[in-house]
Amino acid sequence: MSAFVEECRKEWRRLGVPDLLAEEMATDLEADLAEAEADGVSATEMLGESDPRRFAATWASERGLVSEPAPQKKRRRRFWPWILAAFLFIVIVLSWLALQTFGSSGARSAPPAQVTPVAVTHAPSHRVVVPDLVGERRPAALASARAAGLAAEVRIGTAGTVVRQQPAPGTSLRRGSTIRLFVARR
Amino acid sequence: MRRMASESRRSQMLRGVLDLCLLAVVVDEPAYGYEMTRRLRERGLSTVGEGSIYPLLGRLEREGLVATHRAASDGGPPRKYYSASSSGRRALTEGVRAWRHVRGEVDSVLATIEAEVGE
Repeated sequence: MSAFVEECRKEWRRLGVPDLLAEEMATDLEADLAEAEADGVSATEMLGESDPRRFAATWASERGLVSEPAPQKKRRRRFWPWILAAFLFIVIVLSWLALQTFGSSGARSAPPAQVTPVAVTHAPSHRVVVPDLVGERRPAALASARAAGLAAEVRIGTAGTVVRQQPAPGTSLRRGSTIRLFVARR
Repeated sequence: MRRMASESRRSQMLRGVLDLCLLAVVVDEPAYGYEMTRRLRERGLSTVGEGSIYPLLGRLEREGLVATHRAASDGGPPRKYYSASSSGRRALTEGVRAWRHVRGEVDSVLATIEAEVGE
């Protein structure tokens, strides 16, 4: 058994070519090479190939005895899931960005006068609605403003009730904003 | 370098018609692998270029263009004999027609070019 044919056998075994078929191919190749040699034709000349493993793999693959696809196909198959994953990732990121932009621009474009208490519960937590403090006594008004997440700046009197507020109740403000309360002198 | 380039061109050109050559040498009488190589040589095709006839025979067998059987050779071990199947004969006829058509077209384009043909 020549070294070339022995290498072919190994390759066929590695590729999972059924033993019977590998044996048949090896026997035929061996006999052909011996006959060629008697005619003065070398194995490399006869096979046009000096790499037994490549020769064996090509032969088996062309005969349809190897379940494994050709190297090129294999590489392409390995690439597809990555391309798909990258595409999905981009789609997800883009739709998330679109949602973010759409959502915040919608909130920003809403006119303050139309903000109702119902809308308040749905507004993002970084924005608060100015409560109606007119008629409340100064300490209660300050407490209510703080509870609503607003700071208050008191104008005029130091005691008494709130007679006017700026901005108007129902206005949407960034949390921590300052509102002005006009308190009547006692 | 130029020799390598011309070898490669020869291989590429043969690649498209070598299956026809193989079918042609077993259309009248079955032959085993090396016997086919010998017949090709006798008819003037001494080397088949890069690669060998075996993968090509494998493909022809898989596609049902050749039929195979095992038989004793003259004074040697039993060999696998190849012969053209009926679909192989049809493929051969069609292939030869296509080859002659292409050869004629290419020749008429190249006819004005002077070149010496040497071995």
